[in-house]
Amino acid sequence: MTVYRWVEHTGEVELEIEADSERQVFVDAMAALRELLSDGDDGQADATGAQLVERTISLAAEDRPRLLAAWLGELAFLAETQGLVPEALSVLRLGEGVIDANVCARVADPPHLIKAVTYHRLAFEAHGERWRARAVLDV
Amino acid sequence: MPAQLTRIDEVVWELPAAARADMRVPARVFADSELLDAIARDDSLEQLQNVATLPGIVEAAIAMPDIHQGYGFPVGTVAATALPDGVVSPGGVGYDINCGVRLLALPLSSAELGERKQQLVHELARAIPAGIGRGAGRALAGVDFDAVLVDGPRSLVGHEIATEDDVERTESGGRLAGADPGCVSKRARERGEPQLGTMGSGNHFVELQRVERVCDADGAGAFGIAEGQVTVLIHSGSRGLGHQVCSDYVAMMDAALGRHGIELPDRQLSCAPASSPDGRAYLAAMAAAANFAWANRQVIAHRVRLAVRKVIGAEAARTTRQVYDVVHNVAKLERYGRRELCVHRKGATRAFPAGSEEIPAAYRDVGQPVFIPGSMGTSSFVLAGREAAMQRSFGTVCHGAGRCLSRTAARKRVSGSELRRELEAAGITVRSPSNRGLAEEAPFAYKAVEKVVGVVERAGLANVVAELRPIGVVKG
Repeated sequence: MTVYRWVEHTGEVELEIEADSERQVFVDAMAALRELLSDGDDGQADATGAQLVERTISLAAEDRPRLLAAWLGELAFLAETQGLVPEALSVLRLGEGVIDANVCARVADPPHLIKAVTYHRLAFEAHGERWRARAVLDV
Repeated sequence: MPAQLTRIDEVVWELPAAARADMRVPARVFADSELLDAIARDDSLEQLQNVATLPGIVEAAIAMPDIHQGYGFPVGTVAATALPDGVVSPGGVGYDINCGVRLLALPLSSAELGERKQQLVHELARAIPAGIGRGAGRALAGVDFDAVLVDGPRSLVGHEIATEDDVERTESGGRLAGADPGCVSKRARERGEPQLGTMGSGNHFVELQRVERVCDADGAGAFGIAEGQVTVLIHSGSRGLGHQVCSDYVAMMDAALGRHGIELPDRQLSCAPASSPDGRAYLAAMAAAANFAWANRQVIAHRVRLAVRKVIGAEAARTTRQVYDVVHNVAKLERYGRRELCVHRKGATRAFPAGSEEIPAAYRDVGQPVFIPGSMGTSSFVLAGREAAMQRSFGTVCHGAGRCLSRTAARKRVSGSELRRELEAAGITVRSPSNRGLAEEAPFAYKAVEKVVGVVERAGLANVVAELRPIGVVKG
């Protein structure tokens, strides 16, 4: 079972993820970003008929929290510069301090800007057999 | 409310340095009792105490009355570190480097604008790209991007996008010295270059206003604004370029904390001595992003003038005058007495008093103009800096109303379409690409700007010159 949720934050947007595996944390982070980048008062979008493209992402970082920040930052970069909203993953390989992924994305015009992924309260930790992560996004 | 919070005077509260073992200076808050209650409801005060731990910080970590929870620094903070050993913190400037507001005064009254208001708001929305910002969709022919990074709006004078008068009436002349495009990453350029002249999203806007009342005739006379006059307030920043510069240097300084022997309660406060190679590289990149931000607002102002020309006429566009451009996210090297300080203003505005050589000659008798936007649909205020600000807040005042509700909570209370109808019913023409974004910026999500400005005035930091009421808004 996986869960992500948005935590109340006066100024920005705080994302919390709890997942069965480290890999699933990254999958859920992408799903959360997809929701954030989608428009409409209900926060959802209809992808029917949208043009889909694939992008390869390879990132490295010194630890898991920074790798999560880099992952979210890369997806936000694709949204800002190419108007891409991530829809699915065809490949996701997670190694020691590295992530390689093929992201299937919808070509859209997301109106919501994610300026950056901050290091404030950034976390990625094991809790028993589950994993918990947190990131605050500047929006 | 923290037990050790002590009232110093009518509008100043303080947590002593002894409140926490890692604090180097007190944490000081400008607020009245009501605002303080709101401030104490989120993590603002804890974050302010974290700022008080920065190496080299002097006097106090100071919060303005619009303070709210942020990341690292709370939004609405001024913190000065003493050079050469004091630190510079990229997170203490924020991602939207040199975000600020610019006020333009049109040569007509709202009565003279009359029915053309709707058309003018429509043309402003057409002329100024908003939203996530995949570029302006129109090239700025012949503009040298490196020149923009080094010289800001001055680089646009020869392109008929800026005038000498615009540049003169901009904080720091629209240029921070020491900008080095070589310290700006390829990715930052890639994000920012196509966005020159775009508004962005979130709380950015271009607002059409009417001068509702003048409170200080001398100040208003010097600033060239009169009751009933139409003004345009532009709020935007350094777009993806600034966001990426901050991201790059937060990561770099976070990785180098051990090398500099710095321990912090929050990684987002990552920093380096301002005089170290890391610190100097950040300041050079930050200056480039700051110059880009001023140029960005300059291009937006140019596009406002194009809209004015189309709707009102060429002479009105030519005589649409820039009152001033002020900044609320930056770190500047400033001298106070014998000390040279790196003054971080994060959601806080410089407000130098009459007599300062840092402000345009035309305003030197009345003080630096400061613009405090309210929330959407509420008043904004024009202030003038006063001498007490130099003694009490490193020449700084607030930057806005300050959020008090999260975006999610705002969306739960009103939909974008409902809010749009309410604003239109109040006589405010609205253009926004996103209903969700509109709802997130609902007026009730912010503190009352009148109370925030009132605290600033009672503290003697600035005086109110005029109140501006919105009559149209183009939201990012």
